[in-house]
Amino acid sequence: MNAKQRSVLLTILMAAMLLGISLWAWCKPVDRFSESERRVLQPFPKLTADTLRTGKFMEEFESYSLDQFPFRDAFRTLKALTVFKVFFQKDNNDLFIEDGYVSKLNYPLRDEMLEHAAERFQYLYDNYLAGTDAKLYFSVVPDKSYFLAQENGFLTLDYDALVAKMREKTPYLEYVNIIDKLNLQNYYRTDTHWRQETLLPVANTLAEAMGVSLSDEYEVKTLSEPFYGVYVGQSALPLSPDTLSYLTSETLEGCTVTSYDTGVPQSVPMYDLAAAGSADPYELFLNGADALLVIENPAATTDRELVVFRDSFGSSLVPLLVEGYAKVTLIDARYLNSAYLGNFVEFDDQDVLFLYSTLLLNDSLSLK
Amino acid sequence: MLFSSIPFLYYFLPCVLLLYFLAPKKLKNAVLLLSSLVFYAWGEPIYVLLMISSVVSGYILGLLIEKFRAKPLGSVFLIASVVISLGLLGYFKYADFFIANFNAVFGLSVPLLRIALPIGISFYTFQLLSYTIDVYRGTVAAQRNFITLAAYIALFPQLIAGPIVRYADVAAQLTSRTHSFDKIALGIRRFVLGLAKKILIANALGELCDIFRASGDKSVLFYWLYAVAFTLHIYFDFSGYSDMAIGLGKIFGFDFMENFRFPYISASITEFWRRWHISLGSWFRDYVYIPLGGNRVGKAKWLRNIFIVWLLTGFWHGAAWNFIVWGLLFALLLVVEKLWLQRPLQKTKVLKHIYVLLFIILSFVIFNATDMRQALSDLGAMFGTGSIPFYSAEWSYYLRSYAVILGLAVLGATPLPQKLLAAVRRRKAGETLLNIAEPIVLAVLLLVMTAYLVDGSFNPFLYFRF
Repeated sequence: MNAKQRSVLLTILMAAMLLGISLWAWCKPVDRFSESERRVLQPFPKLTADTLRTGKFMEEFESYSLDQFPFRDAFRTLKALTVFKVFFQKDNNDLFIEDGYVSKLNYPLRDEMLEHAAERFQYLYDNYLAGTDAKLYFSVVPDKSYFLAQENGFLTLDYDALVAKMREKTPYLEYVNIIDKLNLQNYYRTDTHWRQETLLPVANTLAEAMGVSLSDEYEVKTLSEPFYGVYVGQSALPLSPDTLSYLTSETLEGCTVTSYDTGVPQSVPMYDLAAAGSADPYELFLNGADALLVIENPAATTDRELVVFRDSFGSSLVPLLVEGYAKVTLIDARYLNSAYLGNFVEFDDQDVLFLYSTLLLNDSLSLK
Repeated sequence: MLFSSIPFLYYFLPCVLLLYFLAPKKLKNAVLLLSSLVFYAWGEPIYVLLMISSVVSGYILGLLIEKFRAKPLGSVFLIASVVISLGLLGYFKYADFFIANFNAVFGLSVPLLRIALPIGISFYTFQLLSYTIDVYRGTVAAQRNFITLAAYIALFPQLIAGPIVRYADVAAQLTSRTHSFDKIALGIRRFVLGLAKKILIANALGELCDIFRASGDKSVLFYWLYAVAFTLHIYFDFSGYSDMAIGLGKIFGFDFMENFRFPYISASITEFWRRWHISLGSWFRDYVYIPLGGNRVGKAKWLRNIFIVWLLTGFWHGAAWNFIVWGLLFALLLVVEKLWLQRPLQKTKVLKHIYVLLFIILSFVIFNATDMRQALSDLGAMFGTGSIPFYSAEWSYYLRSYAVILGLAVLGATPLPQKLLAAVRRRKAGETLLNIAEPIVLAVLLLVMTAYLVDGSFNPFLYFRF
């Protein structure tokens, strides 16, 4: 090939690419939702004299052109692979992979977030718990980075300092250490969360601290559907899926679960198998994101009650504590304004557990 | 609209290319003008009227200057042109700077105007000035076709970030230019490589600079990492944009002047400014320095001329004291070099490069500061005056994470890759291999850059603010 032929070939190739992709972008049907990113995509903006004058049309068109780009997810994968395999960058959009596990940089320790979380806990204590006979406990769930980041040279927050600060700010809570009961294998490779089928030692530690003994035998059930965790979409990397398992027992099967998420009591399953096929299969556990849930255990040999202030890590752990209580109430203060909590829960002599992950404590503004 | 954006690459550019190459020869400038106005209005829906007004005034005054060139009225029209152009630039870019300083000196509280800076005003103002001044000097004839002149001023490839193309350099091409596969291929190659410099290198290093600014774990070494990263970032950002402009120009049949020639390999500051933002440097040389007498005057006036030019160069970059100090620092370095350092530096092999790079890096720390206070604080921290540790976890992490990009940037800032390619091309087999590989590499690069654009929202362009 001589220089002239090269020029012709280059011109034709690049023109074909530009025009071809352009034509595709103009003609392809508009997608409404990105499953991988779990968000609504920008539709074609309204074209009016006003949106042109103010620049709103142009601004929204930029978002539209990015959101609706042909093979968008494939291009995101190409970018992620370039970042990791060509430029050898340590992370892409704060996500990193080590030992086959995808994790998010949880860094730095944000004092103002811990202050906010502690202030919300204090509010709950002052308004609902102080002066009652409730026994109060607090436990911290480390995120995956705890086991991955430091030893592999990634930025990591000072987990000891986080726990120490939270303990210092919540002297009215008895701290229960579950961190030493966990290791990397307790977590999904492609998701933020922990694997329920590995959490019995954690449940036992918490139960023991609260004076409850657990002895149930559980059956492990594994779903046949592959479990692509939240990091698969976010990282855009071609990752092999996890398997999703859950633990069940006669006690759990006899329980009733009532959701007050919409204000109207609604019976929901302990494990919603239909969620396994959804965008977020982890929602299988206790109805996913739910402001207020009550689990009643008719097989209980006690009338003790447990209230758990929790984030999504609690969804898979709490079923393992149900055996020791007649009633367990789960409150997610991200979705239920604490000021209205008194309308739903009356505190007297329950065990009350604050169970929060380091991901939430270090980014706690969602706590209301 | 940025060149490094999906709307430009896959919506605007294909439409313009189709229209341009389908249009008959006599309509090509009209297509360029129309598309340039759309390009500008995309980011500045209102300020496009300001640019059109500037073009109209330049067009009329250019004709009047030519008509009365031999008479005193010619000077009046030239002065009018300069006053209007610089007046608009002064009002939109510098008014708040002067008000703020006036308030500070006299203890007043005159409210700031808080006017948004029209994109590219510094570039098109200088182009317009070069046109009217050259008409006055008689180096070029006034353009009688309004569309041709407007297409020159508004030409979207170089409208918002240069190079500052002088009318004299493209006057002939505006009326008659050739298009060929070779030229288009040259343009494509230059555009794609410029885009790669911008997206793959400059944006990544810009991210690193932002990470540094947001960090709560700063250290002396992290300050140095930031300073080096910003020095490379601004080069790849600006020269990448210039490459894209030159490449697009070639596709449309124009030959714009080179704006960068590997400035970081310079052996002196004087040489650096012959290699960095060449179109701006030569503009100030031809329209300020030489008219003031250049170096053909006494030493005192010569020094004055140097300081005036560099004061203006700094001020052109931004309406803030750190830009002025940045410009004056170069004036000082140039004077010291010319008076005392030139010969001793020439005798060294490595030291002269260390000297140049050190001052370039320090100068860009001043340049990128939000104000002089931050500039001094940053410079101090680099030399250990802040109460910060020597190194930190973040420095170590980000150095490792960006090592390959920094390495590529350092390599890419030298002519080594170019020399290597030239050496390969000199062999018959090498040339054949490159001829086959080049289209493939460029196509893959375009896809990778598209992936970066689709994935990321981090895509600011630094020279917009000038």
